[in-house]
Amino acid sequence: MKKLKMITGITWAFAGLILMFILFPGMNNLSMSVSKLPFMKINPNYNGGVVAKQIVEASCTLDIRKPVFDGLLKERKSGFVQIDWRGTVPDNIVDTIDYDLDEIPDFTITIDRIKSTTSINAMSSKVLNIGVSTPTSYGWAVRVNLKK
Amino acid sequence: MNNNLVSTSMEKSFGKSLLYTLPMFLITFIFISGGKVDFSNLPAALAIVVTFLFMNILYFMMHYTGKTDKFRVILFIIFALSLSFTLIKNMMEMRHSMSFSQADLLECKIPFCHLVIPMMIIPAAFTKSIIFPGSVIGGFADISSMIILWLVATLVLGRGFCAWGCFYGGWDDGFSRFRKKSVIKKISESWRWMPFAVLFMVALTAAMTLGPTYCDWICPFKAVTEFEQISSVESVAKAVVFISLFLSLVVVLPVLTKKRTQCSFLCPMGAVNSLSNKITPFVVKIDKKACSECFKCVQVCPLFALTKEDVKNGKASVFCSKCGKCVDVCSKNAIHFGIKGVPAGTMKNFSRNLFLFVSFLFISVFSAGSIINAVQSIFKLLF
Amino acid sequence: MFLDILFMVDSFILGLSTGSACLLTCGMVMFPYLLAGSADVWRITADLSIFFLTRLTVYFLLATASWYFGQVLFMNPVVKSIVPGILYIVFAVMLIWYSISRKRQLQCPSGFVTTIDNRRLIPILLGVVNSIGFCPALFIILTKGASESTLVQSYKAFLAFFIGSSLWFLPLPLAGKIRKKKVLQTIGILATGLAGIIFIIKGITSLIGGLINE
Repeated sequence: MKKLKMITGITWAFAGLILMFILFPGMNNLSMSVSKLPFMKINPNYNGGVVAKQIVEASCTLDIRKPVFDGLLKERKSGFVQIDWRGTVPDNIVDTIDYDLDEIPDFTITIDRIKSTTSINAMSSKVLNIGVSTPTSYGWAVRVNLKK
Repeated sequence: MNNNLVSTSMEKSFGKSLLYTLPMFLITFIFISGGKVDFSNLPAALAIVVTFLFMNILYFMMHYTGKTDKFRVILFIIFALSLSFTLIKNMMEMRHSMSFSQADLLECKIPFCHLVIPMMIIPAAFTKSIIFPGSVIGGFADISSMIILWLVATLVLGRGFCAWGCFYGGWDDGFSRFRKKSVIKKISESWRWMPFAVLFMVALTAAMTLGPTYCDWICPFKAVTEFEQISSVESVAKAVVFISLFLSLVVVLPVLTKKRTQCSFLCPMGAVNSLSNKITPFVVKIDKKACSECFKCVQVCPLFALTKEDVKNGKASVFCSKCGKCVDVCSKNAIHFGIKGVPAGTMKNFSRNLFLFVSFLFISVFSAGSIINAVQSIFKLLF
Repeated sequence: MFLDILFMVDSFILGLSTGSACLLTCGMVMFPYLLAGSADVWRITADLSIFFLTRLTVYFLLATASWYFGQVLFMNPVVKSIVPGILYIVFAVMLIWYSISRKRQLQCPSGFVTTIDNRRLIPILLGVVNSIGFCPALFIILTKGASESTLVQSYKAFLAFFIGSSLWFLPLPLAGKIRKKKVLQTIGILATGLAGIIFIIKGITSLIGGLINE
């Protein structure tokens, strides 16, 4: 039994050595495999969720994302919707958004990019306020806080 | 018995040490430089050569002198400093600030670190997603690569990751060596369970809020890496917490106690790595027959991993990070690196050589990028 | 955002963190009595159900009482923000002190119940004493009950606390088999102290909110 334990221990130690040898040269392949695991995607609370509707205009594209209410076990009572303006974004933005795609406008958002000010005119009781409004590498992004 | 003779039993002759260093020399050369050094970019090439030589000299010295921690800590501290330097330099170049902006958060551009892993497990199981605004693959410190690095390291080294891989540990390890004698000597053993309580609380709150609680509110190393832009009362409160925890647990308490207090009392990753110590092949063993029970090892252990009872029982606790400080200080050579299943007091040299090779290979290749970057910046500054 | 969500689940977190320490101090006292005699699976289930039901009833009574006192005492909205804020901080400090103090009592307050010579009454009395054991965690949850604006919210807070603390009691029959009881107890007590930090933040937030509105 003692000998078996010894052999197992030493074998395990050498397996560790081999693992370490494989780790760095195989880093790209290994991390690629890990990235394909089912849970390896960023939670919508961080990436803003999937694009629900895209409005393409001459110089810029407007992405309205799916509202995010994600919680651990069930949806939360409050959440947000992310709107992205991509491309050559004008200095003054005024857009009316229908975030739940029911063809009834929910809010109008006004952004002055020069002064960095954002205001919202809610037309739905579910729209609360502006959570984030920021310039991004692709244009501008806004998160509007919502309740269910 | 002559103390000096016994203490140097892990020593090797110059030639033998050189022979033991040769495989590490070749492997690190291939892993670090990719097999060739491009001298058309002189500062970059010099940085690679200097880093590579420096690392291999440290490894050679470990064999030649028989001391482990004495040389490990040099690389460990340099790793921590160079990583912070590289990270801050990158941020200053890209963002002109040490803080990340709302846009970085929205675009998921935050570098991932292993400390997030314990918090993402429950949400990943329930929501099948990662609760961190980082990149899944590609880019600097992506989530997939960091998970793989940590997973392999913790599987092979256990809590050894905290002494041979963690790019934060060098900070409090460094500060714990500032004074020759500790000012605060008596600390209750119960405190060493604190990381488990922190792990429990951060895992719970992260699951409930779907946010990486520890990174958002606690991590002391935000003070030397990157933190949220100060734009609200909440962000001020966070900055105060980060800086106070850094000053108290990473600077002041390590100086006063000569212990790694952040790693011992706060880090939730330390708790996870302690659990993985149960499966790792490498352990620190105590040969009860050779032990004179002087308890010098208990005194010097930076992570409270050794108590008098542990020494009497002949094995280090799950908190052991295999830093080698206790091994270096033992005049009877009773405490040594070992392999699970191999009885204490036997195959000492073989176990040490194998462990050193594996752990040093990990730290040298893992740390090489940031050290080279830092050295290159110094060269550019000087010449 | 983070704090808003955290404060929504704080009662559950408080219950869960204090529950572990509670189980390991009281579980060992309760375990032999719940399983003593000719205990079959049904008897154990029945006794545990009575114990849980008693606890829940007591918590609902406490929720009603605390909410009622809150309505009477904190009529002014500023007072309703400042007083609970101060109470949260005081009780949270007590909770942290309890977790770090070496002189803390590690004996189950309901230990005496098991000396009563009536087997049927024991689960009920254990449930009552276990619920109203005067500890800082109970004071915190009473403060929360008193500061809620509706009775339903007060019930919800106590229910979350009950669920959090009860989760630890579910594997009670296994409590005797826990090998590292001392270690788990230490971790539980330290986690209780950390839960106290959440309530200090809550207290400060409530206090600042009250002072701003003054």
